[in-house]
Amino acid sequence: MKIYGDILSILYHETKKEKIVLTHVQLKTNVPYDRLKKYIDELKELGLIQDDPSLELTEKGQQYLREYQTVLEFMERMGLMYKKGVSHTPLLSK
Amino acid sequence: MDNLILILAEVVSAILCFILVRYMIKPYQYTGESRYVGLPLGFVFLGLSYLFMVFTLFSGTLIFIEDMKWLQLLTQAFAFAFLAVTYYFSKQPTKRKRLRWQITFTGLIVALVISYLIVFVPPPFVLPSYKTVDEYFRLVNIIFASYISLNALRSHAMKSENKTLWFPLGYVLLVFGQYSLLVWSLDSSFTAFIGAHVLRLTGLLVFLLVSLQTFVTPHDATKERERR
Repeated sequence: MKIYGDILSILYHETKKEKIVLTHVQLKTNVPYDRLKKYIDELKELGLIQDDPSLELTEKGQQYLREYQTVLEFMERMGLMYKKGVSHTPLLSK
Repeated sequence: MDNLILILAEVVSAILCFILVRYMIKPYQYTGESRYVGLPLGFVFLGLSYLFMVFTLFSGTLIFIEDMKWLQLLTQAFAFAFLAVTYYFSKQPTKRKRLRWQITFTGLIVALVISYLIVFVPPPFVLPSYKTVDEYFRLVNIIFASYISLNALRSHAMKSENKTLWFPLGYVLLVFGQYSLLVWSLDSSFTAFIGAHVLRLTGLLVFLLVSLQTFVTPHDATKERERR
């Protein structure tokens, strides 16, 4: 679950830049390449991302990411440190 | 009449806790990290402890009143223990920490089962008086709640944003609520007793307001963040 949120967050920011390079995503998530491919397939099956015409978040994926980031903000408000010294990524706009 | 107000305060506290569980389970649901399971468990136990208190107040003459009093005491202590352990393990998850979390969590569950068994199956040794144990448990609750407050306040100090102040404040109110109960237990002060309930209810309301503000109006926060 956590990794889904992290991958979606990275994918969202990567799509803003240019064409998504999976090795960039792999470096940011710190997950082995084969496992990342497996997660990407799972995210596709869940309908959270699509790769037609290019890899990007679906509406459902953006909704999930919004909820995930709200939860991270809630944890921040509670004083729970999810990742040491790392705040949640900027929230998506609706 | 006094009893009715007390019952009402306990029922409202229990309802607030059970509503909060809905939000407290989200960190575990969305991150899949078992170390956050202590949050919903903590609030479930806190809510149950207030319900046990309601039963105690209702069943004044029944035989199981003593059991209920002990259950209330134990359940509340475990609620604060679950919350404190969650805050303790909320930092950077390493392999070693994950193992320590699993051992601690298992230990807590075992302790919980044994404690409940002691209440229902009388042990061969004589239990100390409820009043004495009650005071020690309040002290333990204060220690756990203070630990949580300090952790949350430290996080707030690192961010220094207004929005991260309210949750630590809620925990501080719970600490003072427990302290007031301890004072009431020692000198039967009516002010301390009422104060304890007011502080607790205010603390829980603060938690609920922050949760609603985060989850019900998240998009306003989004817009504000984007404007900045």
